[in-house]
Amino acid sequence: MSKNIRDKVAIVGVGACKFGENWDMSREDMIVEAAYEAYADAGIEDPQKQIEAVFCGAVYPNGGTGEVAEALKLFDRPISKLSNYCETGTDTFRYGVMCVAAGMYDTVLVVGFDKPKDRGVSGPSVSFDRVRGLPATPAGWFSLCAARYFQTFDAGREDLAKIAVKNHHNGTLAPKSMLKREITVDDVLNARIISWPFGLYDCAAQSDGAAAAVITRADLGRSFRDDPINVKAITIAVGANPQSDPNFDFLSWKPTQVAAKDAYRQAGITEPFRELDVCQVHDCFTLTEMLTYEDLGLCKKGEAKDFVASGVFELSGELPVNTDGGLKTFGHPTGATGVRMIYENTLQLRGQAGERQVKNAKLALSHNIGGAPQACGIAIIGHP
Amino acid sequence: MAIFASDGRPLPQPTPTTQPFFDAAKKRKLRLQRCPRDGFFYYPRSRCPKCLGDDWTWQDTNGLGEIYSYTVDRIAHDPAFRAFAPFAVALVELDCGPRMTARIADCEVSDLRVGLPVEAHYEDVDDITLVSFRPRTA
Repeated sequence: MSKNIRDKVAIVGVGACKFGENWDMSREDMIVEAAYEAYADAGIEDPQKQIEAVFCGAVYPNGGTGEVAEALKLFDRPISKLSNYCETGTDTFRYGVMCVAAGMYDTVLVVGFDKPKDRGVSGPSVSFDRVRGLPATPAGWFSLCAARYFQTFDAGREDLAKIAVKNHHNGTLAPKSMLKREITVDDVLNARIISWPFGLYDCAAQSDGAAAAVITRADLGRSFRDDPINVKAITIAVGANPQSDPNFDFLSWKPTQVAAKDAYRQAGITEPFRELDVCQVHDCFTLTEMLTYEDLGLCKKGEAKDFVASGVFELSGELPVNTDGGLKTFGHPTGATGVRMIYENTLQLRGQAGERQVKNAKLALSHNIGGAPQACGIAIIGHP
Repeated sequence: MAIFASDGRPLPQPTPTTQPFFDAAKKRKLRLQRCPRDGFFYYPRSRCPKCLGDDWTWQDTNGLGEIYSYTVDRIAHDPAFRAFAPFAVALVELDCGPRMTARIADCEVSDLRVGLPVEAHYEDVDDITLVSFRPRTA
C-alpha cells in the first residue's frame, strides 16, 4: 500500500502547446512551447538554475531524453524518459512528484509529448496476438466491452453519444484543443462505424502535442506564486491484459478501481462524487468514459447512463468531467495526455479556465488508463 | 518476424506450448489445457493462470460455447483482412469454462447477439489450421 504523499508537493507552473496535426512543428518545438509557458507561469526566469531535473513522458520516440535536453538547453542534470502505455503522462508526473517529495530536488520540470501524426497511421501499430491471428486495434479492444455492457445494463449507442456531444462542446471552449465543433447525438449515431458500436465520434482524436508542469516542494510553493496547487494523491495500478485474465468480466476497468481506492485513501476522500469538484478522465472512447464514471465510484455500476442523461457531468452540472474536451476533442498525444489533464485541472483550481470555468473548484481528479487496458494512473490535486 | 499466408494474412507461429492446440485444430478438435484444480484455461501457456501449477494436461473439449461480447471490424486496418470485412470478433464463453477471443464465421453481422450459441469452426490456411466460431448448425 502506498504511503501518503498528500500536501508535500506543489504545482506552480503549467503550460501546453496547441494540440492538433502540428505538421509545422517538430517535437522539440512543441516541448519548448509547453515548457516555456510553464516557466513563465511559475515566474521562472532562469531555468538553467531553477530546474534541477526533468521527467519526460513519451510513447513513440525511441530516444527522448537527449532531444528534451537539447530542446530546452538543459544539460548536465538528470533527465529521464518514461513510457507506460496511454497513462504515460500521469506516471511521468508521478515520478516527478515522488522525487520532490523524497527531497532529491526542490524544483523539477515534468513534460509529456508525442507526435504520432508523423507516423502515417492513426493509432498504435496493429498487433497480432499469439494463436488467434486476429488484427487488434485500440478501438477493437475497447469495443469488445460494449456489447456485454449494453446487454447487462440496458444501455446503447445513444447513451455513449451524449458523452461525445458533451466533450465536443467543452472542446469548443478550450483555446488549445484540436477539434472545435459542436455535434449532435444524431451526428454521432449516423457517423461511419469504426469498430461496432464505436462510430467516428466515439473515438478520441489522436493528435500531436506537448504539456508541461513545474513542481516544487509544497513549502516553497508561495515563493513562485500566490496560488500554488498541492498534490493530494498520486498513484498507478497495473493489471493483466483483459484478454489473458480469466477473471476479467469486460464490464469494468479493474486497474481504475484499484487506483481509485488508493488515491481516495491518500487524499482522504470518502465520497468522491460529493467531494470532487472537477474531473478529467480517460475518454479514448465514449464507453471508456462511461465505465470510468462507475469504476471511479462517481456512481454505482450500471448507473452511468442515468447520470449522463441527467447532465451532472456537463460543465453546468454537479461534477463536470473533461472540461477541456478530453482526449475526444482536446486531442490525445499519448505521452502528453496525463500532463495536459494536470494543466487543465490546475487552471480550473486557480479560476483561470475562461468560458469553461467550473465554479469554486477546490479539488480535482485526473485519470489515465493505458494498454488493452492494463494500467491506470490517477492524480488528485487541490487547494493547499 | 511474422509469417504470412499466401493470401497475405499474418499467421500464428506455433511454439512448443501451442503446438498441440494447432495439431488438434488440424483434426477438427478444440483441444485446451486443463488444470487438475482449476479446470480448462485458454490461451495456451506454460502454467495455469489461477494456481500457477504446471501439472496440466491437454484435453479435447466439445467446442461449444456462446457469444459473451463482440465487436465488428468494418475497416480491416491490415489490407489482408479487407476481403473479410465486415467481420465479427467475439469473446466466446466455452461450455467448458474459459473465454476465447475469435472471429465469428458464417454469420451475418445483423445476426450477432450476446448469448448466440456457437461452435468451433476450422479453416485450413496453407500449413496451419485457424480456429474461429460459427453459429451452431445443430
